[in-house]
Amino acid sequence: MIEDDTQALARGLNRRDPDLLDRLIEEYQYRLFRYLIYLTGNREHAEDFFQETWMRVIERSHQYNGKWKFEAWLFTIARNLVIDWQRKKKPSSLDELMAPADDAPAFEPAAVAEESPFERAVQQQSDATVQALLGRVPAVFREVLMLRFQEEMKLEEIASITGAPISTVKSRLYRGIEALREMLPEGRI
Amino acid sequence: MSEDMHARARHLIDQERVEGILADADRMWLAEHLRGCDACVRAAGETERALASLRSTRIELPRGLARRAQMSVRLRADELHERGAGRKLLWAVSGVSWALGVASAPWVWRGFAWVGKHADIPKPLWVLGFVLWWAVPALLAAGAVLASRKREWDQEPY
Repeated sequence: MIEDDTQALARGLNRRDPDLLDRLIEEYQYRLFRYLIYLTGNREHAEDFFQETWMRVIERSHQYNGKWKFEAWLFTIARNLVIDWQRKKKPSSLDELMAPADDAPAFEPAAVAEESPFERAVQQQSDATVQALLGRVPAVFREVLMLRFQEEMKLEEIASITGAPISTVKSRLYRGIEALREMLPEGRI
Repeated sequence: MSEDMHARARHLIDQERVEGILADADRMWLAEHLRGCDACVRAAGETERALASLRSTRIELPRGLARRAQMSVRLRADELHERGAGRKLLWAVSGVSWALGVASAPWVWRGFAWVGKHADIPKPLWVLGFVLWWAVPALLAAGAVLASRKREWDQEPY
């Protein structure tokens, strides 16, 4: 069933069906933007990469063959764009993308607001605390934590997105959890 | 209790979350350990709390984010369709040109030979002329395609 869906998606992408693309952008906007925020740690960059990712999707739509989930392909494109940009900005090892640069702006996603003012304030405080903590977790760990525990992706899918072996993904997850746990102030969240 | 046992317990706590599964023997060992170890129970709670916080964190989307992307993508799709049509035309013209070139090659060869003979041009020279007659248009077309690709490459923002 899922395979049929992805095959249908692949055919639609191959035709560059504008309605399908509209629907995909709508459907994946939150997840893609959140991923880019966690990857870049910066809203403006995330917004630029969001646009650029969809441009790449349409340009490379013929490359999606439906064997993988669409989101894994989408996130791989987004990730490659960020890495290319990082390489051009500061030619060095890819791992440096994952450690916040000295001059990099702070991790700055803002919280969402949907509930009552009180609930909103509490939620915002909690989100802000978690986000501040996440900003101190190296991006290499932040990325896999987000893919595993927010996107609930399988280890294999994370490995395909990050281009790392599953053993590396696991090791990053263990270290990420450790880092997050150590930073979590008791009773604050 | 030894430090090794606490370390094993904490590894298993994390493993259950990372891999989503524990071997039966490990699960039983962990449950037994947690019954008698407050520090590891606390660690399990902290891990759960950290991951629950991570899951519940929300991000505010910039206003009009999807709409802007949809507009850009539609424009790009139109561009690509137009370019695709242009490429098809280029291929068709190239195909016809190649077929005509092949079909007319014997006559062109004879023509070059005739000119070479009557104008007293050495054979290597008129053969070179024949080769260039074939190669120059193809080289010019390839150059034009490469230049257009380079322009596209330079325009890419990242």
